[in-house]
Amino acid sequence: MGFAWYRHPGLVVGGAIALALMAIAALGFVWTPFDPTRLALPDRLQGPSALHWLGTDHLGRDTVARLMVGAGNSLKVGLLSVALGLVAGTALGTWAASRNGSLLDEAVMRTNDFVLAFPAVLTAVMMVHLIGPGAANAILAIAVFNVPVFARLARSAALQVRSRDFVLAARAAGLTETRIAIAHILPNMAGLLVVQATIQFAIAILAEAGLSYLGLGTQPPAPSWGRMLYEARTYMQTQPWLAIFPGAAIALTVLGFNLLGDGLRDLVDPRARRART
Amino acid sequence: MLSFLARRLAGLAVTLLATALVVFVVLEILPGDPAAVILGVSATPETVAALRTEFGLDLPAPERFLRWVGGLLTGDLGTSYGYRVPVAQLIGERLQVTLPLAFAAILLATLVGVPLGMLAASRPRSLRDAGVMVFAQAGLALPDFWVGILLVLAFAIGLHWLPSGGFPGWDAGLGPALASLILPVIALALPQAAILARVTRSATLEALQEDWVRTARAKGLGAAATLYRHVLRNALVPVVTMLGVRFSFMIAGAIIIEDVFSLPGLGRLMFQAIGQHDIIVVKDLVVVFAALVVVINFLVDIAYGIVDPRLRRRA
Repeated sequence: MGFAWYRHPGLVVGGAIALALMAIAALGFVWTPFDPTRLALPDRLQGPSALHWLGTDHLGRDTVARLMVGAGNSLKVGLLSVALGLVAGTALGTWAASRNGSLLDEAVMRTNDFVLAFPAVLTAVMMVHLIGPGAANAILAIAVFNVPVFARLARSAALQVRSRDFVLAARAAGLTETRIAIAHILPNMAGLLVVQATIQFAIAILAEAGLSYLGLGTQPPAPSWGRMLYEARTYMQTQPWLAIFPGAAIALTVLGFNLLGDGLRDLVDPRARRART
Repeated sequence: MLSFLARRLAGLAVTLLATALVVFVVLEILPGDPAAVILGVSATPETVAALRTEFGLDLPAPERFLRWVGGLLTGDLGTSYGYRVPVAQLIGERLQVTLPLAFAAILLATLVGVPLGMLAASRPRSLRDAGVMVFAQAGLALPDFWVGILLVLAFAIGLHWLPSGGFPGWDAGLGPALASLILPVIALALPQAAILARVTRSATLEALQEDWVRTARAKGLGAAATLYRHVLRNALVPVVTMLGVRFSFMIAGAIIIEDVFSLPGLGRLMFQAIGQHDIIVVKDLVVVFAALVVVINFLVDIAYGIVDPRLRRRA
C-alpha cells in the first residue's frame, strides 16, 4: 500500500519548505553571491537588481547573502534549543512518571507549570540580559521554555505506556527501571516527541527572531533575520523592501515547520486527525 | 463557596511569595552593583557607598527581602534607582498604555477568532473551512512585530492614515491616543485570533460529536440554533482557558510590539530597567506580573462556572 501524498497537502508543502530552507542554509555555509558582512558604502540602499537580487542594506551588504547566512543562523538556534529542551525535558518527564505521585513528581510538575505560566518572551529577554547577549545564550534561554513542554508531554505519554502489559512483563523479567524507560517507554513515545519538536522548532525560530530584533540574539556583524528587520526600520520611508524580505523569510520558515508538524501529527495520531477534520 | 475562595486566596498568596523569593534570589546572585552602574566609571568609592546606603543596598539580604515584601504588602513598591520616582507611579503610568492595548487586542482577537473557528467547524472540509485554516496558519506564522512593521509601511508611511508610533498620552484627547493604538492592537491581535480560531474550531468539532447534539437535531432544532444554543457553550471552556493564558501573556509579552511602535508600556519599562540594572523595578514588575497571571487564572476559573454550570458543583 503506497503512501497517498495528495491526502496530506500540508505535510508535503511543509516538508518541501523545510527541505528547501535547509538546502539554502547549507549552501549559505559554502557559497553566497557576496560576502554577507563586506561593507560597500557606494552600493548602499539599492533596490533589487540583476546584480543584487534583493537589493542591499544601509552598509551596502547584499540582502540575498545575508538572508542565506541568516537562515543557517535561525535553523542552528532552533535546532539546538529544541534539542536541548527535548533531551532534558524527556529525561525529566520520564523520570517523574516512574515515580508517579511522589513528592519529586509533584515538584517537577509544579515547576513546569510555573515556567509555562510566564510569557516566554519576557523571561527570555530577562535571561539573556542577565547572562549576556549572543546566539549561545539565546539558545539557552529558548531551551529553558522547551524543557517543561517536553517534560509534560513525556510524563503523560510515559504514564500511559507504563500501564501497558509489556512493561509489566519487562518488570517481571527483572529489567531495571532505567532499562525499561530506554528500551520500552522511549520508543513508544518517540513519534509524539518528534511531532512536538517540529512545532517547538517553529516557535523557537520566532523567539530567536524576536530576541535578535531586540539585539539580544546573534550579534552583529553576523547576519540574523530579526536584526535585519530592526535595522530596516530606520530606512522604511525610502527602502521598504529591507523590512519585507527578512520578515517573509521568518514567516515562511515558521509556516513550513508548522505545516510539517501538523502533518506529522495527523500521521502519528490518526485520532487527532479525526478530531480536527 | 467560601472555603473554595479561601483555599484559592491562600494558594494565590503562596504563589506570589514564591515568585518574590525566586526573583529576589536570582537578582541577588547577579554580578553588577546598581549604584556603580548608575554613577558610571568615574564615580569614587565614597559616592558609590553613599548611593548604596540611600538605596538600602548595604543591609543584609534577608533584611532587604523582608523590607521589600513588607513594602509590597502595604503598596510601597520602592523607588526606582534610575528614574528616582516611586516604582508604583512608573508602573501606573505604563499600565495606562499596556492595559488598553492588551484588552483591545484580546477583544479584537476574540471577535475575529471565535466566529471564524465556529464558521469553519460548522462545515468541516468545505471551502470556508479551508479558508479559515489558511488564515490561521498565516496568522501563526507571521511574527507579530513584522505585521506591525508592515502595517506601519501601509497605513502610516503609505497612506498617512495613522501615526507610525509613539503615544501622545490620554491627556492629548481620546482620538489621538486611540489612533496611536490601532496599528499595535491589530499586530498583537492577529496571531491570537489565529490561535483562537484553531482552538474554537477543534472544540466545536468535538462538541458536535456529542449525543445531545443528535438529540437536539432529532427533536427538530435547526443546525444554526443547535450550534449557538448548545454547541457554543460547550466549546467555550477551552476557548476561555486559552483567552486567560493569552491575555496574561500579552500584558508583559508585548515588549517587541511596544518597541516597534515606540509605546511607553510595561514591556518596554521592563526592557529598559533590565538594561539599566534598575533591579527594584525588575523585581516589582515580575511580582506585579505574577499577580496579574494569578488573578486572571482565578477569573478564568470563575468564568468556567458561568460558561459551564457542571463545573460549578465540582469546584
